[in-house]
Amino acid sequence: MGEGSLLTRRRRARAAASAPAEGAPRPALLLGSVAVIATCGLLYELIAGTLASYLLGDSVTQFSTVIGVYLFSMGVGSWLSRYLGGQLLRWFIRLEILVGLVGGASAPLLFGLFAHVGSFRVLLYGLVGLLGALVGLEIPLLLRILQGRLAFKELVARVFTFDYVGSLLAAVIFPLVLVPRLGLVRTALLFGALNVVVAGVSLLSFDETKPYRRRYLGAIALALLALGAGVVGAERIQRYAEGEVFQDTVIYAQSTPYQRLVLTGNHRGELRLFLNGNLQFNSADEYRYHEALVHPAMQDRPRARQILVLGGGDGLAVRELLKYPQVQRIRLIDLDPAMTKLFKSNQLLRELNHNSLHSPKVEIHNADAYAWLRQDTTRYDVVLVDFPDPGNYSIGKLYTTAFYQTLRQRLRPGGLVVVQATSPYIARRAYWCVVHTMAASGFSPVPYHAYVPSFGEWGYVLAQAQPGTWRPDGGPLPAGLRYTTPKVIGQMRAFPPDMSEIPTDVNQLNNQALVRYFEEEWGPYGNG
Amino acid sequence: MHLPRRQFLTQASAGLASTLLAGLLGSVPGCVPARSAMRGQLRGAGAKLGHLLREPHKIPAPTHTQEVDVVIVGGGVSGLAARRELHRLAPSLRTLLLELEPEVGGNAAAGHNARTAYPWGAHYLPLPDERDHDLLAFLEEAGILTGYAPSGLPIYDETALCHDPAERLLLHGHWQPGLVPEAGVPAADRAEIARFLAEVERLRRTTGPDGRDLFRLPLDLSSANTTVRQLDQQSMADWLAAHGYRSEYLRWYLDYSYRDDFGVPAAQVSAWAGLHYFAARKGRAHNAPADAVLTWPSGNHHLADNLRRLGGPGRIWPNAVAFGLQEGADGRVEVLAYDGVTQQSTRIRTRQVVLATPWHVSKHLLPAPTAALAPLHAPWLVANLTVDGYPGGPGQPLCWDNVRYGSPALGYIDAEHQALRGFEPDEPRSLTFYWALPTDPGNPAAARRHAYASTYHDWLTLVLTELDLMHPGLAARVQAAELWVWGHGMVAPTPGYVWGPARQQARQPHLGGRVHLAHTDLSGVSVFEEAFHQGLRAARAIVQGAAAS
Repeated sequence: MGEGSLLTRRRRARAAASAPAEGAPRPALLLGSVAVIATCGLLYELIAGTLASYLLGDSVTQFSTVIGVYLFSMGVGSWLSRYLGGQLLRWFIRLEILVGLVGGASAPLLFGLFAHVGSFRVLLYGLVGLLGALVGLEIPLLLRILQGRLAFKELVARVFTFDYVGSLLAAVIFPLVLVPRLGLVRTALLFGALNVVVAGVSLLSFDETKPYRRRYLGAIALALLALGAGVVGAERIQRYAEGEVFQDTVIYAQSTPYQRLVLTGNHRGELRLFLNGNLQFNSADEYRYHEALVHPAMQDRPRARQILVLGGGDGLAVRELLKYPQVQRIRLIDLDPAMTKLFKSNQLLRELNHNSLHSPKVEIHNADAYAWLRQDTTRYDVVLVDFPDPGNYSIGKLYTTAFYQTLRQRLRPGGLVVVQATSPYIARRAYWCVVHTMAASGFSPVPYHAYVPSFGEWGYVLAQAQPGTWRPDGGPLPAGLRYTTPKVIGQMRAFPPDMSEIPTDVNQLNNQALVRYFEEEWGPYGNG
Repeated sequence: MHLPRRQFLTQASAGLASTLLAGLLGSVPGCVPARSAMRGQLRGAGAKLGHLLREPHKIPAPTHTQEVDVVIVGGGVSGLAARRELHRLAPSLRTLLLELEPEVGGNAAAGHNARTAYPWGAHYLPLPDERDHDLLAFLEEAGILTGYAPSGLPIYDETALCHDPAERLLLHGHWQPGLVPEAGVPAADRAEIARFLAEVERLRRTTGPDGRDLFRLPLDLSSANTTVRQLDQQSMADWLAAHGYRSEYLRWYLDYSYRDDFGVPAAQVSAWAGLHYFAARKGRAHNAPADAVLTWPSGNHHLADNLRRLGGPGRIWPNAVAFGLQEGADGRVEVLAYDGVTQQSTRIRTRQVVLATPWHVSKHLLPAPTAALAPLHAPWLVANLTVDGYPGGPGQPLCWDNVRYGSPALGYIDAEHQALRGFEPDEPRSLTFYWALPTDPGNPAAARRHAYASTYHDWLTLVLTELDLMHPGLAARVQAAELWVWGHGMVAPTPGYVWGPARQQARQPHLGGRVHLAHTDLSGVSVFEEAFHQGLRAARAIVQGAAAS
């Protein structure tokens, strides 16, 4: 941030030096405006840079490119100022209203549209460019307005003094007060309103504005109203962004009929998806989770062509599956259309899942997995079951002998199922309950686990419809895996004493033993 | 229909509500919301057509004649079980079943809304006694029993076992798991409840001097020991008092249980039947504990429908009332039937008849009813509510069976409890309320007249008030309410009924062994197992009679 503000000043100084001069009254008032608009101008830049690093990660690159575009655009604005003539004060008032609206709306727009636009970067740099150009017009215009009132050396000295004071103020209050207290969205809206207020004060302080005063006062009132409405509307995003629930900034939140989807980002570029407050993945280490879910099964089934994925609407398991060229069809069943839509449309998430949900091999059905499975007639080589943890009776039904027996009928001879099965370290009885339930359903289960830093030790059950031939080195692994090797797969099979097998009940529809284990074991962690 | 609340309450209280509401709820409710957008109607078990029996002169004379081997009058569980057994043992016999209603099922009727099937009556079957091979064979044929474990214990279709969580009780403002009062119950009461449950458990395991279980289903297999059978002479309430059971919690629980199965409380149930309720449950399964029950979204209509399906090609004639039964030529019996749709009557000539009708119907049809049987049938209200919101509350989440402690009603069943799918948090729910209406044993017709005279809004007031007591505010979110009033619910085993002489007399065949009776009125306990065996007994008598001649 520091280097950014320094660059800004130099650039702005150069733009100012080339500005022509004109006459204007009440220099003190206009110089006060300089301090305010300078604060606002730097804040928009800081907000855009911070937001970009939240949403896109890689803060050095984001800050550097956002500042670069912003400063370049300021230069464009400064150059364009030469085409403004006639009533300069009127131009200044118009400009302030416009800067207030665009700057105020910048953060809510970027947050709000993040999930919905095909290319987020176009939106980001477009907005930064527009804002930079508008801000770049401000100082040249003011210099020309003040030109007749002050000697050139006085003019330059005072304007830039106030400009730098305003910048210092912005640079100090942004990290210390604004971000922690207001958050990015409300900060942008508040300072947008300040720009509009500058327009209002200028309008009321100069007699020459009388002919158009009424009309402009109306416009200013409307602009303030719009920004105020933005503050109210921003409450929902802010509630999450303020870190009461999530440690990182919320960059997308949506309540669907089924669940609440929240995507957060931080300055390290880590994206986290939460479903109903439970972490689904962290982009920094999800590859461990998904490699462990997919490859132990797939490497041993080099002929697997028909794959079924239950849950997993993020397309990350599908990404791993698509690394096997022999796979012909992947059928993905996820309850929530909003989930698959988000991971099909958003650019960042598409980068994360390698566009897997657009693969011609992938067929997506938004349906209840149990209901869908009961009417399905296809038989599959491999089925991946990536449901939420069994935290309630409704989801608990998807871990019962009844469900696994239905699932077993959908397998080809020699078919395999892999089930994510919560943490064998934290929820040891819950994990082994899943293993025993699959065994009671006629499968030969192979329990294994992997270490995913965001989750801790995580458990899976690989289950074969017939007593098994599964091997940790059954076939070649795809190139480029970051976690899985035949040796690591072998190690996944080893359970140290603190999470080794213990006796449990079998989970049935009429006892829901698993939900009780899960509640007891995860309860102390306030999870589930 | 929208009425201001004040006006509505005035109207409601003008009818039945003035008598029922005050009696049932203790006070007139002040919290029933206006219901401008609610859909629904009041139905009843074919009372109009059935009551034609009282005025046979209004029925046109037969214009058609038919001939079959066996006529079954009544398509409840007894009649359907008889039909299936006849088809099983003698598939060549041509059967014809006459059913008063548009559909068979009797007390095991079911309805359907946009979301789900739901029961209109009986809605579960406790795990059957593993010695009841006839019943197990039917369940196996119906796909409900899927096999036997090496231990010999039956394995049931897991999806039909009542899913967990099964039951909850609203007690002291909190939903506790299970229906036996526990949460916040004083230690002395808990001890008394435990003592009672231990006593019935002891009785459950005890056999009489004749080597039979003291209590068993079907109940005719129970021990003939006179000491035990004498329990039938006193009321359950007297038995409880005599044995020092005074806990209000226990008494409420027992009253609830008996009202749920018999329609009347402990004071109107014989001690033998009251103990049989607990001590005759001997079900075991490989994949479920002994107290498990089998249930389906449509309740026992699922069982009735399987009985129908497995009953062969014999015709089922709906909307048909049998209004005459007489000796015909060539040793045949003639059944006169009136079709409520075509409004024509038919003379059906048959070799044998199964009269699977309640006693008040059989009495009208039989030429010379000899028995002085007087079964008490409490009227019932069943209400299916579609509620736009989750019926939660503090404590245990929504269960299959949801009951309020101290309530005069019997609580509600979540019709979609057995659904194999997830639910959206705000998805509408389909709840079936049960209410056995209080009946004066000295004048049961009075309660029935009240029941028939009451309007949809009278009943709705009752149900919504009860809903509001269970879930404050939820009554305002009822989208639809379908109501069914059973004028004759099920038989109550009042003192002296089960082991008195009238029941034995009433089940004797008539017209020279050509008319056989099959109905739970002849058992005294109206449960599926009894109805099933009533049907089997009649069918076997017919087949044995045919083999002998």
